[in-house]
Amino acid sequence: MLNVRVVLLVMGLLLVVEGVFMLLSALVAAGYGEYDMPYFLQSALICIATGGVLWLANHKAPKSIGKREGYVIVTMVWLVFSFFGLLPFYLSKAIPSFTDAFFETMSGFTTTGSSILNDIEALPHGILFWRSIIQWLGGMGIIVLSLAILPVLGVGGMQLFMAEVPGPVPDKLHPRIADTAKRLWGIYVVYTAVETILLWGGGMTLFDAVCHSFTTMATGGYSTKQASVAFYDSAFIQYVIIVFMFVAGANFTLSYSAFMGRFKRIYKDEEFKYYLGFVLLVSALVAVVLYVSGDVDTVERAIRDSLFQVVSLITTTGYATADYLVWFPTLSIVMFMLMFVGGSAGSTGGGIKVMRIVILLKNAYFELKRLIHPNAVIPVRFNSKAVSSQVVTNVLAFIVIYMLIVGVSMIIMSVMGYNLDTSIGAVATCIGNIGPGLGEVGPAVNFAHVPDFGKWFLSFLMLIGRLEIFTVVLLFSPYFWKN
Amino acid sequence: MRIIIAGAGEVGTHVAKMMCNANHDVILIDDNEERLRQIDAHFDLMTIVGSVSSIEDLKQANVSSCDLFIAVPPYEELSIMSAILAKKLGAKVTIARINNYEYLLPENKEFFKQLGVDELIYPEQLAAKEIRTSLKRVGIRQQIDFSDGKLILYGVKIRDNAPIVNKTLAEVAEMHDQKLYNTVAINREGYTIIPRGNETFRHNDLAYFITTPEGAKQVMEDSGKEQFDVKNVMILGGSRIGKKVAQRLEGYYNVKLIEIDRDKSTRLADTLESTLVINGDGRNLELLKDEGIKKMDAFVAVTANSEVNILACQLAKKMGVRKTVAEVENMDYIDLAENIGIGTLINKKLIAASYIYRYTVKARVSHVKCLTSSEAEVLEFVASEGSKITKGRLSELKLPKDVNVGGVIRSGQAIIVTGNTQIIPNDKVVVFAMPSGIRKIEKMFS
Repeated sequence: MLNVRVVLLVMGLLLVVEGVFMLLSALVAAGYGEYDMPYFLQSALICIATGGVLWLANHKAPKSIGKREGYVIVTMVWLVFSFFGLLPFYLSKAIPSFTDAFFETMSGFTTTGSSILNDIEALPHGILFWRSIIQWLGGMGIIVLSLAILPVLGVGGMQLFMAEVPGPVPDKLHPRIADTAKRLWGIYVVYTAVETILLWGGGMTLFDAVCHSFTTMATGGYSTKQASVAFYDSAFIQYVIIVFMFVAGANFTLSYSAFMGRFKRIYKDEEFKYYLGFVLLVSALVAVVLYVSGDVDTVERAIRDSLFQVVSLITTTGYATADYLVWFPTLSIVMFMLMFVGGSAGSTGGGIKVMRIVILLKNAYFELKRLIHPNAVIPVRFNSKAVSSQVVTNVLAFIVIYMLIVGVSMIIMSVMGYNLDTSIGAVATCIGNIGPGLGEVGPAVNFAHVPDFGKWFLSFLMLIGRLEIFTVVLLFSPYFWKN
Repeated sequence: MRIIIAGAGEVGTHVAKMMCNANHDVILIDDNEERLRQIDAHFDLMTIVGSVSSIEDLKQANVSSCDLFIAVPPYEELSIMSAILAKKLGAKVTIARINNYEYLLPENKEFFKQLGVDELIYPEQLAAKEIRTSLKRVGIRQQIDFSDGKLILYGVKIRDNAPIVNKTLAEVAEMHDQKLYNTVAINREGYTIIPRGNETFRHNDLAYFITTPEGAKQVMEDSGKEQFDVKNVMILGGSRIGKKVAQRLEGYYNVKLIEIDRDKSTRLADTLESTLVINGDGRNLELLKDEGIKKMDAFVAVTANSEVNILACQLAKKMGVRKTVAEVENMDYIDLAENIGIGTLINKKLIAASYIYRYTVKARVSHVKCLTSSEAEVLEFVASEGSKITKGRLSELKLPKDVNVGGVIRSGQAIIVTGNTQIIPNDKVVVFAMPSGIRKIEKMFS
């Protein structure tokens, strides 16, 4: 049976953590002396009180976290965090509609970055900061953070870790899961700090630099400006953001290797090779087409715009410096396809993940070989090791379910009256945790016009995408609830 | 402490779990991915798929920064090779499992040390030793000797006929003028209790006493156990343990060994001197009767099959054998076997694990033993100069709740402790500890 009490206990603990981050935003609001400060205090109080009660009521619960509990906890945490995380937006009337507030919060935590806000600059600093920090928390993962700071979760931590960290087989940096989580968060914090300094030095205000660093490292894409990064017409700032988006979309295990001085590990990593190669190749193509078609006038601009958009979409960040929908039509299609690729396994990016796509393509290619040599043993190799058939099957199932969900969701969107472009764009961007889509939800517009039902539905897609489908979908399968 | 375990077999897996629960950083290497995945999902450790004798794989496990390297792959050669490589790559202490008695001889110790293997363990040998000890005294579930038997831990099943049953520890203490033993733990329905004065002995409790050889008689009387000397022993199964046990026993007892495999029987008959080797199926009651099972004082079942061992012991008990010993390798059966009244349970994994455990404790420890029927451990600490444990009488010190101090050996003399006992530096102190208490008590001694 499901150990409900331990689930509630963990929820309680984590709500207290969320409350603490609200207090941090309250400090920012207080610093700017704006009207939203009391609302942060109220929200924090609600979080900490609810969390405290759950915690105290269940602190004697048996601390056994099995597979079931792991999946339930991870999914629940993300839902609960979004429901409580919307309080500052909703209470302060920064976002008066409950549905909108939930959509904005879920889009934040899942690092999607799709917004319903029409005038971002009008919002107080506290709210903008909260918008960025929820992305930052969601980027590396709420569970990973809690594993790093709450020793209580030591038992069964592996179950939770596997359910949250993206990629088919999560890497460990240290024998103990808590230490792995600490290292991951350590790297994450260091990167965020470095980027903040660079952006600040590049001419952003400190506040904007912090917020943008939060959302870059999380591959989230919330900006403090309505025009997104296009607001900053500085090549330096844009290149800094390109680099950090790229790093955030790579496997953090590789960053750890780099920090430890083991560079060999990086250039031997197959996924990284494909990731880098793919980004460079597509950017080069886009740059050439952009320049030749006359969409931009200088070579540097063509390179910068193409790199920025390509990296932003493939890492599922979703910042915009240009509207790819007004580019040459082929490029819009290329951009759309990038939405499905996603970052690397073990990164903060969403999407299907480079590793899965490589395994899928290799397997498909070997299938041809297998037709000619029916008795040959042809393993799919990755990182010069044979991938077990279990992992291959898992990858195939993942992609099939992913595409199935995209297909069905498109129909649901079209029922609400959207055309093909908008339907597929909205669905692909939400399940891939990217941000901007196509058509009426493209980079130049937002999701404000989507009906309430559509917002709830898209929020759900974001959650499914962030937790890599199985974790959430499993809860809806009869196998999960059967004893 | 960073511990690398090479080989995820039975012993390796068990040690890994134990070390994990004791909060060590554990890395487990094995070439079987399937097996590792299972362990990885349930325990907080890192697994690496690779060969235990590959330099590349050992480097990947970061062997240069490990404090303890435990080589327990299936083959002895691999085990020694792996330990040597690990040592040369920078592991601080290496332990290798072997199954050749020669290697253990004192004159070879230095040779292996030079090669890079600091310690050798031979689980079968340790198991045989334990079986031998258990036959010395009957009515005992488990017996552990400390400092050459100056202090002894007895695990005794308390039955309705015991004079102490339904009495509290305090009442039992009043029965005698002198305190000759300490009750350090009670295992009741699968749970281990660290008893205080108000705890009552109940029927079917497995009680652990610490006593001296002089006090042993009183322990036996109080728990209602009759003493008799074992003369005739029947061993079922010519496994490595079976052979070792026969070798150790044959000079002192009349030993019969039953082995089902003909070739193996021939070989055993060749090596064993006075043991009578019988080729046949030990599950066959007629055969057992023919071989005089009714006259046997002890029956030791050590086939490779835990189920057979448990059932054969049951059968032997029914035929009137008073002391039964069964090797039970399946951990889940231990509780069960304990409850159906098999005298002594032997588990290679636990024996090897407790032997290895000693190397992970920071304080000076001269002896560690895991109990078969309980998750608790008994440790013999050496009190260091200026350590916390020497700073007052035991009743004044704040001892952790999950720990019980049983006895002290001071310059060769055994003392059964009371609240008034003061521990002085260099005392050897026998402590009974639950896993949660080991770290705490360890700190008090260092």
